[in-house]
Amino acid sequence: MLKIAVMIKQVPDSQDISIDPVTKTLNRSMARNVVNPPDVNATEAAIQLKDKYGGEITVITMGPPMADTALLQLMGMGADSGILATDRVFAGADTWPTAFTLASVADYLGGFDVIFCGEETTDSSTGHVGPGIAEFLGCEQATYVHKVEYEDGHFIVNRDIEGAEETIKIGRPAVITITLNANEPRNPTLKRKIGAYKKGIRVVTNKELQLDPSCIGLKGSPTIVKDMKTVPDPVKNPTKLGVEEIDKLVSALVEKGVVK
Amino acid sequence: MPDYDAIVVGAGNAGSAAAITMASKGLSVLLVDRSDPPGAKNLSGGVLWGNDLAQILPKWQSEAPLERFIQDKKIGFLTDNSSIVIDFKTKIFEENKVGHTVLRSKFDPWLAKKAKEAGATVIPGITVESLATKDGKIVGVVESGDVITASVVILAEGINPRLAIEAGLREPLQDWEVSVGVKEIIKLSPQKIEDRFNLTSTSGMASEYILGNLQELNVGAFFYTNKDSISLGIVAPMEQLRANGVTHTYDIIEQFKEHPSIAPLIEGGTVAEYGAHMIPEGGMDMVPKLYGNGYMIVGDAAGFGFSNGLVLQGMNYAFLSGMLAGETAVEAKAKNDFSDNSLALYRQKLESSYVLKDLKTFKDIRKVTNNKNMYTTYPKMLEGILLEMLWERGQPKKKVRDILGSCAADLKMSKLKTATDFYYIYRRM
Repeated sequence: MLKIAVMIKQVPDSQDISIDPVTKTLNRSMARNVVNPPDVNATEAAIQLKDKYGGEITVITMGPPMADTALLQLMGMGADSGILATDRVFAGADTWPTAFTLASVADYLGGFDVIFCGEETTDSSTGHVGPGIAEFLGCEQATYVHKVEYEDGHFIVNRDIEGAEETIKIGRPAVITITLNANEPRNPTLKRKIGAYKKGIRVVTNKELQLDPSCIGLKGSPTIVKDMKTVPDPVKNPTKLGVEEIDKLVSALVEKGVVK
Repeated sequence: MPDYDAIVVGAGNAGSAAAITMASKGLSVLLVDRSDPPGAKNLSGGVLWGNDLAQILPKWQSEAPLERFIQDKKIGFLTDNSSIVIDFKTKIFEENKVGHTVLRSKFDPWLAKKAKEAGATVIPGITVESLATKDGKIVGVVESGDVITASVVILAEGINPRLAIEAGLREPLQDWEVSVGVKEIIKLSPQKIEDRFNLTSTSGMASEYILGNLQELNVGAFFYTNKDSISLGIVAPMEQLRANGVTHTYDIIEQFKEHPSIAPLIEGGTVAEYGAHMIPEGGMDMVPKLYGNGYMIVGDAAGFGFSNGLVLQGMNYAFLSGMLAGETAVEAKAKNDFSDNSLALYRQKLESSYVLKDLKTFKDIRKVTNNKNMYTTYPKMLEGILLEMLWERGQPKKKVRDILGSCAADLKMSKLKTATDFYYIYRRM
């Protein structure tokens, strides 16, 4: 039986976020919170692996207390339990302390045979956290994966690489990051969601983890955001070309030698 | 043993009010909503009258995400060139603060959270597929092949109650039973809103109009101020839209927004959201059997709402019907009897409340709201009278009686016809 973890993040719905011009941070107040979309694919990949080879799935997130709804949703899909790492000292983390904290949670829970992550988050798009977790735990890793099989204690995975697909075999324990749309995630069901609600979420704070405060949260973040700019929407040309203008356009193109 | 005492389908005002009422009396309640967070997809014009809400959540005025309290209520007519508006501003509104503008996508998740705090299991993001029945009794809900059972199912699924219709608990919606509401939320700074409408940082304005500039359609419009946005929209009867082949209701809302008395009020604003929703307007004639073995129907799903063309209310009817269904379930639980006979108490409670009293009192109101003259001739007549009375253009003055007569003649209305029409409107409103 495989011990499977899925690391997930609740993100603001990317349609609704803007950048605060003063603080240079994302203004999430107007946005609805959703599970980072490739994390849903990662959860589906974990469930498919469990369905085929047996196992138990733990979904883990680091975030504010309200992130519990994300865990409940994924438990509604079929994950067995949910862990919410939440503590004021975790706040403001960039990818380094995030990976460190999540790796520490995995370790604290006794380790996993495989840890799934989404390829990247829609609110920062770094793709650092999955590989970071693998490095902190000293696991093997495969990124940008859309297919996973398990054979003789190894994972056979298909990776998307530019213009091609790579099939590799990695050992256990492993961290595998799953691409957006790698699979078609199942919908949560009412019965499973009720089960998740009854079971509840386990909360883990730094009181339990005892991580060095200089390695977590804002203090542990080497990234300093110098500036952030919003790019204005491209101005659409308000004059629409009518049929009568096509002749003019063609002759202009012929004149310039673009069309012969 | 069923899984729950009660399952409530739909976390709108009616559903959450029912869930709060039952859960706070110790019943085990499951509240399911299609949206996550629960209720976030719900939509209405946006004025909430909270007398009933105060009964279950006495601190609603300080806790709920409200926009502005209604200090200023306007009703009126718009014609092509003019607006004729009664502006009712009263200290009484200010002292009671019972009417508030709300944005349902914020308010409804808050109300569902209150249901959770009261002890209900609130499950968002799930669309119930069908009702589970056994021996002619509703015994629960079905989703993904699983049956979740309950002693009673409260259907609070909104204006188009698919579950109730599919289970044969009510007929499919007919055109005459509903109007189509189309709404936009227009972002505008609080400063501009307060300056333009003469408001403080907490007070608000709500106006409702009859649009007298559309020939074939009896369209009403609304215009409400939120903290940093305007909610505005139009309401058009489905039957007339269909009869006139109108499919582009946004043309109507554009006309409203471009009206000379509306356009300056929203100038500089940007459209942040838009949406459309059906509104129950069939009155008593559209109300189905409201209960049966193992079920009750509340809120919009039951057709509860009030409209006379100038006043449009639904949320208060939703709260109260939800609460009364909740109370009925609590009493049914005490008797351990959820049969048709036992749940008939819900109907009795509705009968002695304003919900069914209003629908009965105004059983003929559709004759007013369907009266074409109300939406074309009379606004024009009123405009003509006011022009005669209030405009100096070097002509001899006329008595009101003569003005009325000549305006009626201009609009090809006989005095007698006008008088009888007025009489009936007066009687029915």
